[in-house]
Amino acid sequence: MNLSFFDQFSSPYLMGMPLILPSLLLPTLLFPTPGRRWISNRLSTLQLWVINLITKQLMTPLNKTGHKWALLLTSLILLLLSINLMGLLPYTFTPTTQLSMNMALAFPLWLATLLIGLRNQPSASLAHLLPEGTPTPLIPILIMIETTSLLIRPLALGVRLTANLTAGHLLIQLISTATIALLPTMPSISTLTALILLLLTILEVAVAMIQAYVFVLLLSLYLQENI
Amino acid sequence: MPQLNPAPWFMIMLMTWFTYSLLIQPKLLSFTSMNTPSNKTTSTTKPTPWTWPWT
Repeated sequence: MNLSFFDQFSSPYLMGMPLILPSLLLPTLLFPTPGRRWISNRLSTLQLWVINLITKQLMTPLNKTGHKWALLLTSLILLLLSINLMGLLPYTFTPTTQLSMNMALAFPLWLATLLIGLRNQPSASLAHLLPEGTPTPLIPILIMIETTSLLIRPLALGVRLTANLTAGHLLIQLISTATIALLPTMPSISTLTALILLLLTILEVAVAMIQAYVFVLLLSLYLQENI
Repeated sequence: MPQLNPAPWFMIMLMTWFTYSLLIQPKLLSFTSMNTPSNKTTSTTKPTPWTWPWT
């Protein structure tokens, strides 16, 4: 079988079972279900601190009616964060590299923000299609441009996450392949590539966190326009 | 590129939303944040004022 660099992104099967299921479900085990009796350990205290930090960060720019999205947005960022970070472990499959999963998350949530805006304040959300102070001859073309950018948003959300994670995983695989391939002939260059691989891994951990945050931040910005 | 292949997209969407709304959200809801500890006593003290005889 001829393996290419992109085969790490194809959903693996084990005895007819798609392994995307455990790779979606297992990261949720990282979060305990704390009881109601306030017995906390170090992990749950740290997680609670992170959850509060994220919620505060996301909810500050929104007004009061948008605050009922706190649970949705915070749990979305935790889902994406845990899947992205678990996917960086060697020999694991990352479901967030799949375009279908990212679109499945991006499209309904974007549609929800849009429908909320169109239902509760139709004129205000339609007014976002024309920036204030536009010269009159530019108005028709600008409305078309803004409509396109409004409709392209879910695609951009999904593709952004997919492309960033795919690029990161590909780079890690390329550099580690180079490290192994160069080891017998040029050990010094191979050491250098191993160092680069280490730095790149640190970068990818950061990218995994940043992309989860960016996905939810953009959703909250779309919500902010419509609420 | 297999990551762009939408093949079992409905199952993936179903599983994603199952994980998102039935696993992560209840777990997140059960996290209760307490108030930050403070040195102030919760009960208010009752002062008993008296009048000085020379005023």
